[in-house]
Order: sequence, then structure tokens, then C-alpha cells
Amino acid sequence: MSVLAVSNLSKRYRRGGKPFAAVDDVSFEIGLAETLALAGPSGSGKSTIARLVLRLIEPDAGRIEFEGADFLSLSGGALRARRARLQMVFQDPLAAFNPRATVARVLDDPLRIHGIASRAERPRRIAALLERVGLDAGLAGRAIHEISGGQRQRVAIARAIATRPSLIVLDEAVSALDVSVRGQILELLLDLQRQERIAYLFISHDLGVIRAVAHRVVILDAGRIVESGDARTVIASPQSAIGKALVAATPKLVRTSQDAA
Amino acid sequence: MRQLRRFFRTPETVAGAAILVLLVAMALAAPLLFPRDPQAIAGPALLPPFQDWSLPLGTDRLGRDVLAELFHGARTSLAVGLAAAAAALLIGAAVGTLAGFAGGVIDEVLMRVTDAFQTVPSFLLALAFVSIVGPSLGVVVAAIALGAWTGPARVARAEVLSICERDYVAGARVIGMHPLEIAFREVLPNALPPVLALSSVIVAAAILTEAALSFLGLGDPNRVTWGDMIAEGRAVLRTAPYLSIFPGIALVLTVLGVYLAGEGVVESTAVRRSLS
Repeated sequence: MSVLAVSNLSKRYRRGGKPFAAVDDVSFEIGLAETLALAGPSGSGKSTIARLVLRLIEPDAGRIEFEGADFLSLSGGALRARRARLQMVFQDPLAAFNPRATVARVLDDPLRIHGIASRAERPRRIAALLERVGLDAGLAGRAIHEISGGQRQRVAIARAIATRPSLIVLDEAVSALDVSVRGQILELLLDLQRQERIAYLFISHDLGVIRAVAHRVVILDAGRIVESGDARTVIASPQSAIGKALVAATPKLVRTSQDAA
Repeated sequence: MRQLRRFFRTPETVAGAAILVLLVAMALAAPLLFPRDPQAIAGPALLPPFQDWSLPLGTDRLGRDVLAELFHGARTSLAVGLAAAAAALLIGAAVGTLAGFAGGVIDEVLMRVTDAFQTVPSFLLALAFVSIVGPSLGVVVAAIALGAWTGPARVARAEVLSICERDYVAGARVIGMHPLEIAFREVLPNALPPVLALSSVIVAAAILTEAALSFLGLGDPNRVTWGDMIAEGRAVLRTAPYLSIFPGIALVLTVLGVYLAGEGVVESTAVRRSLS
């Protein structure tokens, strides 16, 4: 059974008076505890798809089925309640939080909104969430701008798992982090997936990262799917011109393929 | 601390702050230094200033103590100025936030109402409002706020529109936060600084408008106001010009002080912003 099924999704914008398709007839599925990567150059529609799936923007056409039910027909309170199961982690962990917030408030919000824990119980739940993502529980009282970028992204992940979702959209979630921190965050994500059975929609332009975490990959260009399949297979021998260009742009991968030859 | 030092770096802001401190001290000290009713007769009528040291600034046509009136007038000016500005900022910020955040029809309606208020000269609006409802301190505050909330509303809306594009608003939606909570807890506090920057201009304008209303006899009759004093002195402008000059000077200094201090606050925070 698939967690998310997207079919014939389209979103058009007007640019300079001319309509142009940001997302054009895109279909894909994500299974339970599976990681599907969306790859493609800038402007290929990756982030637009993420925002469509999360209902941050509305599509012009297509269907989104989440956990077997029509996700696009929901509105108001029903939609807000359903959001507990479908979370997101943003690229820039500083921009993703209210600049006035503290770590505790950021984690308190989802618990309060979805009635997951009583007011008295929440501080304990917040401490548990922080420990779950490898942070010290004492961090709760700190302001968001006081902690490091890597810690911030861990807090973002803690917030995303607070409501026990079945799917997390990771929009370039490790791209803004430096290399050593990136590896630790990817480890954390894999560990959470194994233990909590969470599916990921993993958006990245970095095929090296995608190969490390994704089961399957979809390559996009100008809003259309140009190639899809098993992540390792596609990255090892891309068929589309964009796929080849992306592999060529990833230095480490070029070297490995030369080593193999 | 750094911000305080930056604030006191320019002589204008120091002067502005000094005037404001003096004004607040006057307002607070008025009932202590002049416990008697400032509108009661204190001596012979039209006593010139600097003659009798128990009445240093002399008396007006009815024999009231000009210095006592000046001190009590500071209370009125300050109270009306601050209350009207607070009301205007509150209404403006709420309307602007709702308009910017909701968009669509709500935005259109709220902004057309704002346009309507902006096309009517704010002083005429205040004049009409006080004439109809009747003069009292609360009505004067409401009348002034009625003409002053449009500026903050426009600034708040513009700021909210830019903040709504940021990731943390999307993040709040993703965790299922109610739109009203997003608007007033996530967006509004971050949209406030540029709106508050307007406050000095609004306070200064409110003090002037209150004085003008009192001058035209539409102030609260139970309170001493500087506008009243100037109007009173007008009848004897040739023989006792000091009756209009003293409250006039007080008014000019107050507006100048509020404006300079306000500018100083904006400058010091603006520098901080561009540095970070």
C-alpha cells in the first residue's frame, strides 16, 4: 500500500504574461517507510511539487491521495488535523522558524495543536523529542538563533516527528549544512525511518546524497518527469540528458565510475 | 547597552530625550507641585510673568496660575498623544495584518475602507466626530485615532505580505496551526518594528491635533489643555501675549522632542538591523 499517490499533477504560473508549467502532468507513488528522491536542476519544479503535496499551494489539475484518502478534497479543520500525518523539513533551518521562538516553543506547538499531550505533560515530551534527535534536553530553553545550524536542523526534524507522521517531505533538508553535519543528519533520518516506519519525499539536487538515502529516484526537468527508477541503477547509468548532466556534475560519482571501468 | 549608547550618540536625540523626560516629569509632578485645581482662581487677573514669585509665569484673564495650567496641560497632551497613538497603532496593525494575511476579498474591502479614511483630511474627521459625539477626553482620543490608523495599517500590510512568503509561516501551516494564530502570533510580532517606527510621528501629530481641537473649543472642558490656553490668550494677545506664547512654546518643544527622540530610536534600531 502506498502512503502517497500523486497522479497527473499540474501547476501553471504566468511568467511575463505567458503561461508556463512549473509542474506538468507528474505522477509518482511512495510506499510505507520508503524514500523517494526528487532530483533535477534549479527550476525543474521540485520545490513546487513539495508545496503542492503539502497543500501550501493548490494544483491546477491532478490527484493527491494520502494514506488512501483524497487529500485535495480536505479543507479547514479537517485539513489541519490531517497535517499531523504529513510533515516537512525546510532547507534553511533558520528561516524555517519564527525568529522570536525558543526551541521549547517550536516543539510545543505541534503537541498543543494536535492535542498530543496535556500542558503538564508537554515539557517531558519535548525533552524526549530532543533526545530522540540526539540533542541535549537542556537546549529547550534556548532561542532558535542561539543554536548552531546542525542543531537547528535536528530541532526541525524533532518538530516534524512530534506528531508521528507517516510521510516527511525533506526539501533540500541537508543542502545548507556543512559536510560533516550533513552525514550525521542523514544517519539520523535513516535511523528514524527504520524505527518509526516513516516515508520520505527527499528533494535534492545532489545525487551523491540521494544515492546514500533514497530507494527510488525521479528526475525532473522543466516540470516533467524525464526518468525514474531504482536510485542506484538510475545514478549508475542515467538514460536522460538531464540525468547524465546531473551525474556529471557530481564529482565523486564521476570518479567512482572511472574506478569501476 | 550598545543600542542605548548608539541612541545617545547624536545631539538631536539627546535633546529630544531630554525634552521628553522633562515633559514626563512635568506631567507626573503636576498634582504634587500644584495640588490645587489649576482652573481655580489663584491671584489677580492678568498678572505679568516674573513679578510675583508665588505665581512665576503670572495669571490669565480669570486670575488662574499659568505655570500650574502649563504643568497640568502637559498631562493632557501626553495622555491624549500616547493613548491616541496606541489606539491608532493597535487598530492599524490589526487591520493591516488581517488584510495582508487573508488576501482576496477581505484584503480588498479592508484596504478600500483604509482608502476612504485616508481621503478624508484627518483633522476634519476629528472635528466632525467630536462635534457629533461631544467633547470628552475619550472621544478626543478616539477622534484622533480615527484619522491616524491608516498609515500603520498600510505599513503593517506591506510587511505582512513579505513575511507571509517566509518559510516559517509555511512551517506553521504544515504543523496545522490555525490561520488566526499564524496571523497574530507568528506574523504580527515580526511585522511590528517598522509599524512602531511610525509612532513618534503619530504621537506628535496627535498632540498637535488635540491642541487644535481644544483651540477650537472642542477639547474636554474639565481639563486644562495647552490648546485651550492659547485660545484663551488670543483675546488679550496685544496686552498679554505671554498667555499664548508660553503654552505655544511648550507645544512646539513637546512635538519637537517626541519627534527627535522617535527618530533616534528608529535610527539606532535601523543600524542594528543592517549590521546583523
